[in-house]
Amino acid sequence: MEQLINDLKLQIKEALNLEELSLEDFDENAPLFGEEGIGLDSIDILEIIVLLEKNYGIRLANPKEGKAIFQSVKTIAEYVQANRKK
Amino acid sequence: MAEQNWAGTTYGNNWMHKWLIRLLRFIDTRILYLFVAIFIIPVCLILNPSRGIAYRFFRKRMGYGRLKSAWKTYVNHCLFGQVVVDKFAMYAGKKFKVEIEGYENFARLAAKKEGFVQLSAHIGNYEIAGYTLVCENKRINALVYAGEKESVMRNRDKMFADTNISMIAINPDMSHLFEIDKALEEGEIVSMPADRISGSPKFIEHDFLGAKARFPLGPFSVATIRSLDALAINVMKTSLTSYKIYVTPLPYDKTTSRQEQIKQLSGAYVAELEKRVRQYPTQWYNYFEFWNEND
Repeated sequence: MEQLINDLKLQIKEALNLEELSLEDFDENAPLFGEEGIGLDSIDILEIIVLLEKNYGIRLANPKEGKAIFQSVKTIAEYVQANRKK
Repeated sequence: MAEQNWAGTTYGNNWMHKWLIRLLRFIDTRILYLFVAIFIIPVCLILNPSRGIAYRFFRKRMGYGRLKSAWKTYVNHCLFGQVVVDKFAMYAGKKFKVEIEGYENFARLAAKKEGFVQLSAHIGNYEIAGYTLVCENKRINALVYAGEKESVMRNRDKMFADTNISMIAINPDMSHLFEIDKALEEGEIVSMPADRISGSPKFIEHDFLGAKARFPLGPFSVATIRSLDALAINVMKTSLTSYKIYVTPLPYDKTTSRQEQIKQLSGAYVAELEKRVRQYPTQWYNYFEFWNEND
């Protein structure tokens, strides 16, 4: 799980071009959206959706699932671990 | 950042829309154009801040003199009124003469297995394209504002009932992103405006008509995320009863970095938009401070 969280942090950081955010400061429990957290927005979500598909073979088609999955890097990792196809 | 406030919805209430559609079944649209130009537009020009915004557009961006700018402001509002009337005239079953320039660009992408993106703008009357540029083998998904009036949505649904065009409403719960991604992944077409910042505040800045302007990052990000082809679709009113659709490919280097792809694609879109706005300056309908003149 630890490794998966680190991989996801790195992949999200690269995909979203979050140069100013170091991996050490990237808290896996921090909310991804809103001012209190990483501060991502709807366009970033789309990037993560495609990232999960490309890297883990996960197709997220149900918008209702999205809100729960994209709360933090940890919730994404939990979902990936349970649903990954590669 | 320039203020970009707009209602995202067609003016008037449902009752007015129903009444207008009924009326347009019996009367010539030109009678309504005349009524709007004489009685509605002067009142709008007095009451609505769009007057100043349009005037500044003609003065600063098009470089017209004071008198010409004032006249063009009136013409611009009259044309906007005509475009709204035309939209309801279509709901009432009226047809317009439509010419297409660059249809081969649309046909070429439609024949491919992959999906593609159509980028529009708030110039002319894009809705006409929805009734004309149809594709047999690909569904077209048009992104629309979720807050649009029920009468407009119902009539759009009715008009598109026998076509493979569907609407994706922009929702605060982000569900539209899943729909967009699913549609493109399945090789369909996604059509969206790329001239107004909505939802995500992210933007990309370009020189546009002689000054810096901000364009939404979203549409360009959506197209490049899967390295998809993109077209600019602009539908301009050419006479009282006819329109011309311009279908222009928007090239970008798909092998370069994402940042560079977005820059190239948005640059191509802005260049095409500038070309059409210079060609049809009175059909520019972004009634908010598009350029931050203080920057």
